[in-house]
Amino acid sequence: MQNFKKYLLFSVAMLAFVSCSSDDDNPVANNVTLEFNNTFKNTTIVLGNAASTSATANTSAAGQVHHFSELKYVISNIRLIKDNGDEVPYNINDLDKGATVIDQAKTASLSYVLSNIPSATYKQIKFGLGIKPEQNTLDQVRFPNFYAAAGANDTEMMWEWGSGYRFTKVEGFYDTDNKAMSIHTGSTVEGTEGAYTQGVNAYRDITLNLSTNAIVGSKAPKIKIAADFDKLLSGKINTITLSTGTGMNDNATPNVHTAAQMVKFVDNLGGNGSSDISGMFSVTAVEN
Amino acid sequence: MKKIIVFLSVISLLTSCNNDDSEMISIDNPEITLHIPSEFPEVNSFVSLNKPTKYGVELGEKLFSEKRFSADNTISCSSCHIQSNAFADHNPQAIGIEGRIGLRNAPSLQNLMFMKFYNWDGSKLQLETQPLVPIITHEEMDSSILEVIEKIKDDPAYKDLFQKTFGDESITPERIYKSIAQFEYTLISANSKYDKVKRNEGESFTTSEAKGYETFQQKCASCHGTELFTDQSFRNIGFPVNTNTNEAGRGRVTGLASDYMGFRVPTLRNIEYTAPYGSFGQFSTLKSVLDYFDNGVLEADNLDPVFKNNGNKIPLTEEEKSNLISFMKTLTDNHFLGN
Repeated sequence: MQNFKKYLLFSVAMLAFVSCSSDDDNPVANNVTLEFNNTFKNTTIVLGNAASTSATANTSAAGQVHHFSELKYVISNIRLIKDNGDEVPYNINDLDKGATVIDQAKTASLSYVLSNIPSATYKQIKFGLGIKPEQNTLDQVRFPNFYAAAGANDTEMMWEWGSGYRFTKVEGFYDTDNKAMSIHTGSTVEGTEGAYTQGVNAYRDITLNLSTNAIVGSKAPKIKIAADFDKLLSGKINTITLSTGTGMNDNATPNVHTAAQMVKFVDNLGGNGSSDISGMFSVTAVEN
Repeated sequence: MKKIIVFLSVISLLTSCNNDDSEMISIDNPEITLHIPSEFPEVNSFVSLNKPTKYGVELGEKLFSEKRFSADNTISCSSCHIQSNAFADHNPQAIGIEGRIGLRNAPSLQNLMFMKFYNWDGSKLQLETQPLVPIITHEEMDSSILEVIEKIKDDPAYKDLFQKTFGDESITPERIYKSIAQFEYTLISANSKYDKVKRNEGESFTTSEAKGYETFQQKCASCHGTELFTDQSFRNIGFPVNTNTNEAGRGRVTGLASDYMGFRVPTLRNIEYTAPYGSFGQFSTLKSVLDYFDNGVLEADNLDPVFKNNGNKIPLTEEEKSNLISFMKTLTDNHFLGN
């Protein structure tokens, strides 16, 4: 019995050593930083008001010059895929810890740090543009931090009437006379997945192959993601000509963006989920 | 001793069943027996998940008039949903805190448990999901549900009512939504002169009302059908368009071009007291609505066939209009209006 106790003590001591043995050179997990670069083609976007001379101007496939004064979108449901195909979800059921608003006016928001990612080699990233219907309920009790961040006065990423979040919010100006463009997207679906009773699901799942594998371990890699807003009007799915007015086909202000016209923008930005699963996004570099 | 043990085990049995709101059975908070008018359409299936109870309705009614729902404690649900106006108000568009003007006309609240859709655009299918919208909307109460709970959580009257309704004092968003919906489910209007005539309760139409009813059946009932006086469809009927860039009617919910600027056919019950009319209060009187139909409505690609196939109008003589208005006034339910 005495011997047994000694063995037990020894084993416990060994265990303690083992659990401490992962030193800084070979940690079990590390951070991964997602760095978003919002561009028109290869040029990083500079925001500006109607008369701005410094704002980045872009010309659409339909020949319409445009620039933005505001550019925001929501990223959620982030998953990293290991080189063996295993999927590592990152707080996908917790908007407070796993979702963020990318805001071109706030530099800090362009880098999103995923913490405690298991050490491994990763070949792919998946994330959502917008929020899945089952989480898109403005639930202030479950996700107080995301609710507060999205609802802040300088952010306005809520669709109060639809009791959901805005997924993208682009404000800007188009044509040489700088008419207002205001493109908001979000979901209006009711019911449960597979049995939606009405509405539009504007959530889009994005899949991107990493340009080189990201190796999480002793180092914390950075994945650089470009979001090319040239695609907004000149996308893989739709070529869009903006028009102003209150008619059914006018699309430059939210009245119809929230309706039939909205889906065209959603598909251009986030793909259609089948033939296009990357939308405006691409991985430009991985820094290990 | 045996009696005590039995008593204690019964108590513990009751206590252990007390945790779940939906499972809760309390003899002290009985379900309310609602009189469902015959001929009314089927009840919305969500009602069965939240049946009105004695204290749930009392709590819901109190919350309905709670001004602390708004950021500056000035606006309650009942500010824009006034009983004497069939729970609509007098303004073309609803007015929220600091005089902010909303997108649309405050709709009347009546016979909601028989409705399949809520709001002008039918964005909500379940009444319990609606109360959050005005609470958080900038042009309405501009608050948040946790801000509301923080303000009312120490109020003894609420503690008492939440206890009586749900078995404990805890105030949660779901309990607030449920009790408000329970109160709203009790708002049944089916005691107008029209109803009494239909039920042979000794009342009869005047000549003008009877002629109006005839015209109504010929020219209006295809949309304002059923005992709710709405078929609950969404239609673009060429009313003057709300140019607010956030307005697309039902189109902003469904994403369908055919729903662009389509709105729910409003009920005609208590219509005498719900002016102004239209999704943003375009018409101040019933006569002006009928004149508009008679003169012709705006053209639209998705204009409702009722108009499109009839030269964009519903022709009405002055006598028909006057009789129709007489008939519509028989849909006034004074008891419901609190008179």
